[in-house]
Amino acid sequence: MTKVYDVIIIGGGHNALVCANVLAKKNKKVLICEARDTCGGLLTNSLSNFTPDFSSKVKSEIDNISVNHTAVTSIALSETGHHLKLTGNFSEDKETLEQLAPEDVDRYFKLQKKLSLFSKTLGSFMHSSPPRILHKNFSDYFKLFKLALNVRIMGRNNFNEFARMIGLNIADELEDNFKNTLLQGLISHDAITGSNLGPRSPGSLINLLFRMANHSNSLFGGIQQVKGGVNAVIKSLEDNVIKRGVEIKTSSSVKRCIIENDHVKGVELENGTLIHADTVISSADPKSTYFCLLGTEHLDTDFKRRIKHYRAKGRVAKLQLTLKKVPEFTNLELAELSQRLVISPSIDYIEENFNYSKFENLSPEPILELSVPSIEDDSLCKNGMHIMNIQIQYAPFNVKGGWETKKTECIDNVLTTLEKYAPDIRSCIAEQELISPNDIEKNFNVTGGHWHHGEIQIDQLFMLRPIPGAAQYKTPVTGLYMCGAGTHPGGGMTGIPGKNAAHEVLKNI
Amino acid sequence: MSIDLTQAALKFTPFHNRTSRACRTNSWYRWSGYTVVAEYSTTELEYTATRNGTSVMDLTPMYKYEIKGERAKEFINYFVTRDLSEMKDNTVAYVIWCNEAGKVVDDGTVFCLNQNEFKLCCAVKMQTWLKDSAEGFDLEINDVTDEIAALSVQGPTSCSVLKNYGATDLELLKPFESKNFTIDGYGVLISRTGFTGDLGYELWTNPDNAEKMWDSLMESGKHLKIRPMGMHALEMVRIEAGFIQTSTDFVSTEHALRPIRMRSPYEIGMGWLVHLNKKDYFIGKRALRYEKENGTTERVLVGLDIEGDKPAHGAVIYNKKKEDVGIVTAALWSPTLKRNIAIASLMRPYGTKIKEDIFVEIYHPEELEYKKIWATCKIVKRQFYSPERRNLVPAEVY
Repeated sequence: MTKVYDVIIIGGGHNALVCANVLAKKNKKVLICEARDTCGGLLTNSLSNFTPDFSSKVKSEIDNISVNHTAVTSIALSETGHHLKLTGNFSEDKETLEQLAPEDVDRYFKLQKKLSLFSKTLGSFMHSSPPRILHKNFSDYFKLFKLALNVRIMGRNNFNEFARMIGLNIADELEDNFKNTLLQGLISHDAITGSNLGPRSPGSLINLLFRMANHSNSLFGGIQQVKGGVNAVIKSLEDNVIKRGVEIKTSSSVKRCIIENDHVKGVELENGTLIHADTVISSADPKSTYFCLLGTEHLDTDFKRRIKHYRAKGRVAKLQLTLKKVPEFTNLELAELSQRLVISPSIDYIEENFNYSKFENLSPEPILELSVPSIEDDSLCKNGMHIMNIQIQYAPFNVKGGWETKKTECIDNVLTTLEKYAPDIRSCIAEQELISPNDIEKNFNVTGGHWHHGEIQIDQLFMLRPIPGAAQYKTPVTGLYMCGAGTHPGGGMTGIPGKNAAHEVLKNI
Repeated sequence: MSIDLTQAALKFTPFHNRTSRACRTNSWYRWSGYTVVAEYSTTELEYTATRNGTSVMDLTPMYKYEIKGERAKEFINYFVTRDLSEMKDNTVAYVIWCNEAGKVVDDGTVFCLNQNEFKLCCAVKMQTWLKDSAEGFDLEINDVTDEIAALSVQGPTSCSVLKNYGATDLELLKPFESKNFTIDGYGVLISRTGFTGDLGYELWTNPDNAEKMWDSLMESGKHLKIRPMGMHALEMVRIEAGFIQTSTDFVSTEHALRPIRMRSPYEIGMGWLVHLNKKDYFIGKRALRYEKENGTTERVLVGLDIEGDKPAHGAVIYNKKKEDVGIVTAALWSPTLKRNIAIASLMRPYGTKIKEDIFVEIYHPEELEYKKIWATCKIVKRQFYSPERRNLVPAEVY
């Protein structure tokens, strides 16, 4: 076996591509092995409608991404037709709120300012590998000191407030501040989206802060649509790394990592091909990485316990409708359908949904986030027809009865809910396809089908992500690294785990 | 005397009808949820039976696990620190196993019944640890403690006793080998293993055969100085042999409340069981390699030969009568060796590099008053007693 590659990256999601780009810029010979026939992983048009732009820190380390972003308005739908439309732009939002929620205007901007400060603080932790605790290493102590300083520098009051809010549930904060239930529902939606939490679950606020940190530290700004969908971002990333000499093998599922004497020596593909490299980076989720690619015989019992208990059960399903005609939404113009429409009218609405989810049932009235992106962007049409992407929140991974039998019921629940806002929806549908969390697990090789490769919760963040003792992109096996959403700082289209992992790898090769 | 079984908080072993009849003192010992005899008549007599004749001890309460499956051998080799990749059928190995920090979970014996079936015997309940360790190995792991009756038959005449009992050609069995016998129509697995440091065997059978087995053994040993032995005498012989006992000489990681009380194999004299050059990974290997390479071992378990004749139970050990450097974990005036011996845990470099000026502070009770004795002691091999016959093949037959 001759050594051709410096680094093999398992999986071709956006974090893997960013990682490859950073490594290739340092003249490392990189091979990406992707199991599917295309790169992108969970970042594909059928799963993701919107995306934030990469942060400047990521952009500065990768080649230029040539895509067109357009800002998206978030529209909380109301059965009464008094929809709430927020853009993240101060004067626009102020005008909207003065009309619909006059009592909440001041408090809204005050809260936005406070959350923004906290999300910035959180965000400042994101761009380097988290420090190890109790390792008696100067650079670790220095990092910890810097973190403490970043938090303390906010001032005494903000520090206290930050400490209060870090474990808080979003409902308490919103009910204390706002009268308008639609506004409460919309913000709560963004706090719980992708997670296994209800608005009254402790910790739902940090989920929101995390989201804001990846969306320009704003509640509703920073949400964007890309011409050509998120696939265009992937395409651009892919083009860049290929230009840099990175090889991408698609339809090349990795069966296992080759380990000799506790050092990684390469990978074996499903078809039996052995590929040698002294560094392997897995962009797969932690459970797949450790249990399938590495093998439990290379891990200690305590370590296996921690990985096994890592919480990663997805609660989001996707429904894609192909439309014969565009449905009419009460009180919405056609162009607005390409924006982010959210059906989550109140905190109680979400919490009731969460109750169904807790017991692994489907809610008859699910929480929806939808859009008809093809209105703005013809390239997204399917067979000349418009498409509607619907994200269904709380679609439990282990739904009672199993997803095979529950799909029809789930789709029916969605359509019944939608009918209240777009009465003619059922007559518009040409085709429908539901992707359950179990489909995500199967088709995208993500254990639990979780968006973020694991819950974004205080016990699974920062130096605890994915688990304490392996949170620095390293695994216990020398030469084997991780760069996926299951590592610090977590999921979302940020590319940060990929970028950070690349730096960790570069320190060692 | 009838005992209301429904009221018993502790389980009876399958030998209980026999042991309770033989027990003249009604002195019992609590062992892993079972009750076993602490002393049948006098501990000294039972001790003497082991050293000069044969003792029979009920070891049913020892935790026993069967591990079955295609990857059973690979798993065992991963589970313990010792390299068992060459382990053959019908052999037994003394092993320890560690957690990820390289601290000892427990010690015990592994029986290789065949390449896909193993049995693990140990002192600490291990079902959860085994199951969690076996994650990904696709094995069947069962607690068979209650399903196997076990007796330890130990002493210079033990081979003769067992030959009389029906174990043909037993003298040819080598130490750490096992063999299946059919005696009086029932199956018995006999292994040449034990906890006494002398020639000895352990017998494993179905609980239904327990009483028959006990009776035949006592009959077979009638003229060979056979005697049932309780737990107190066992403690004496195992100290002489230098064997360590979980919860006495070290604390299992499963029981330790304070992380600093956990011990690495190098700290309890078990370094010889850690095979860092084993080809495959084993639990704790990374931590143990780090410890070995960086010399971070803090303690050492040694044998002490103490002046005088007062046993140093729980005594504190001093360097130059000033600095506290360790503690005695087990002590005994050895009747066979006529020496005052002890097992002790010392802070390195005491016991390794510094072996001079070590004192033991013994508080000897004398009729409601303690006499404080400063005794000098020598650091010696922990294996105080190891007669040649222990490993002879063929074994001595009388």
